[in-house]
Amino acid sequence: MLEDGELVERGCEILFINYEHENHVYNVSIERRNNFYYITYNNTEYKAEAEEIKPGQLTIKVGERVTKSVITEGEKEKYIFIDGDVFRVKPVELTGKKKTKKKEEGDLNSPISGKVVNVKVKKGDLVKKGDVLMVIEAMKMEYLIRAPFDGKVENVNFKEKDLIEIGEITVDLKKREA
Amino acid sequence: MFKKVLIANRGEIAVRIIKACQEMGVNTVAIYSDVDKEAPHVQLAGEAINLGDPTPIESYLNIPKIIKIAKETGAEGIHPGYGFLAENPDFAQSCNDIGIKFIGPPPKVISLMGDKIAAKTTMQKANVPVIPGYHGEKQDNVSLIKEGKKIGFPLLVKAAAGGGGKGMRIVHSEELLEQSIESAKRESKSAFGDDTVFLEKYLDKPRHIEFQILADEHGNVIHLFERECSVQRRHQKIIEETPSPVMTPQLREKMGKAAVAAAKAAGYTNAGTVEFMVDGNLNFYFMEMNTRLQVEHPITEMTTGIDLAKWQLRIACGEKLKPKQSDLSQRGHAIECRIYAEDPSNGFLPSIGTLTKVDAPTGPNIRNDTGIYTGMEVTPYYDPMLAKLVTYAENRTESINKMIWALSHYVVMGVTSNISFLKTVIEHEEFKKGNITTHFVDDYFKDWTVEKDGLPIDAIIALAIYDSMHSRKEEIVRYKEADPHSPWKHVGRWRVGGKGV
Repeated sequence: MLEDGELVERGCEILFINYEHENHVYNVSIERRNNFYYITYNNTEYKAEAEEIKPGQLTIKVGERVTKSVITEGEKEKYIFIDGDVFRVKPVELTGKKKTKKKEEGDLNSPISGKVVNVKVKKGDLVKKGDVLMVIEAMKMEYLIRAPFDGKVENVNFKEKDLIEIGEITVDLKKREA
Repeated sequence: MFKKVLIANRGEIAVRIIKACQEMGVNTVAIYSDVDKEAPHVQLAGEAINLGDPTPIESYLNIPKIIKIAKETGAEGIHPGYGFLAENPDFAQSCNDIGIKFIGPPPKVISLMGDKIAAKTTMQKANVPVIPGYHGEKQDNVSLIKEGKKIGFPLLVKAAAGGGGKGMRIVHSEELLEQSIESAKRESKSAFGDDTVFLEKYLDKPRHIEFQILADEHGNVIHLFERECSVQRRHQKIIEETPSPVMTPQLREKMGKAAVAAAKAAGYTNAGTVEFMVDGNLNFYFMEMNTRLQVEHPITEMTTGIDLAKWQLRIACGEKLKPKQSDLSQRGHAIECRIYAEDPSNGFLPSIGTLTKVDAPTGPNIRNDTGIYTGMEVTPYYDPMLAKLVTYAENRTESINKMIWALSHYVVMGVTSNISFLKTVIEHEEFKKGNITTHFVDDYFKDWTVEKDGLPIDAIIALAIYDSMHSRKEEIVRYKEADPHSPWKHVGRWRVGGKGV
């Protein structure tokens, strides 16, 4: 489980994964928050609880539905056994920019292009580490921008219903020394 | 009883025989090629001797090597299993020559049954029905038409040199016979340079039904009822069951008697199988005799309670058969599915690779005969059969349901297996009704492919969670969207290489 602070520092870490199966590519994103996994595929978000019972053996609960699966890794590919069938997938690389840049403290970039649906703070507010500052919606998912540390809001760069591009700074936050 | 037996085989059947020996207190010698060093039969046997080069001809088919090992280890008997040297009369003779008991019939019986025409002649003499046909030298139209009328219709005109359906005609009535003979001859001449043809009765809705035989060396022969083996692909069985859904007590009695007569006529000893073709009107015809323990023997063991492998050992030691025909009965219903490393959606081509995970289902009356394990390499050297899954229940429906459950819980990953295909076949309405023929797979599954609905959403979710749990930041193929025209704008399923979905 990621530390909450770590989550925030990464600006709501989302994994984007591409699986190739039978010449089709599946674009999936997954985010982990508060013991839940939020998986987005084909514009739908699934909220899941999961447990790895034995290595590679997963029990996953989405809503009331429980599925069991076994996953193993070959040299490059992965195999999943689910519902009596085995599927072979390969992770594939797509065009796009690899996320490498480590964020500067207080640099609260939007993780995605979308719409600002809620602004929780205003200029001059004192916030605690983990407080939600702004909510951005994209592809029917909500992304929470949280404070990476205790601090004071210097400026709020967007208001509700604004469109925000990926990488744009949501809120300027000044770190408060303990 | 033998003190020590060498098992001249590998895989599940070697394991099966070693277990039978060990239960009877017989020491065992396994042999293995270089690629089978860690195989279960090697682990299980009391001794294991390396054969070296995995090429079959240098290993499991190498008679001098195997005989030498048998001598050096002091084995008193050799069990050949099935395949490899099991029906090789020279091997049986080589064993006899050095005073080691070949656990199977005498070499001359293996030779006789190996010659298909001689075998048929032997059966005809013993009044066992054979497929009516004409294999004579008179090739003029008048003679052929006369012979054809004797056989009756529909009949098959077959090129003597034929193969792959060339020079073959199904003739449904007398009026069409002459032109069919002529066109078969023309085709045969141009394809094979020979226009000799055979005539044979054509069986409508043919089934493959065989009878298990046990014969001791004192003239006692019993049969252990039938096995229905019609579901085949590429002329190889994939699903067997007993009793046959088409069998009646009267037919069973008649066929059982014929099978015993066939074994007696051949001078057969040890375990063997008499194969029949049965047509849509339940006429049956001798096809051939298999002079070995069959792959599908477990279903007979389940329904009769007789351990065939152990009786093979006892018979080979000269013991008399204890069970009498009247002692035997069939109880319940057993099905066997052969699990192969092969791709049913690609012409059943063998699939090789490392088994990343093997986990077999267990439960009441589920038998899993196997020689595989997690981490094992499936090589191209030997038969790609991975396991035999057998279910047993009080009736056919229950046995089918149990098999569907067991197949659904059989984890084989790392190579492509036929498990999904077997499940689809077992679940087919016509299979459930028992309407099966040797054409079943071709009739219903000719262009079968794994449902191309792609990855189910549950699999996508599970994979993503697995990757989220296990991947360190740097390892994962992970991108953030930077480009408004990036593929992330088109989430969902799409095809590499620009082909349409």
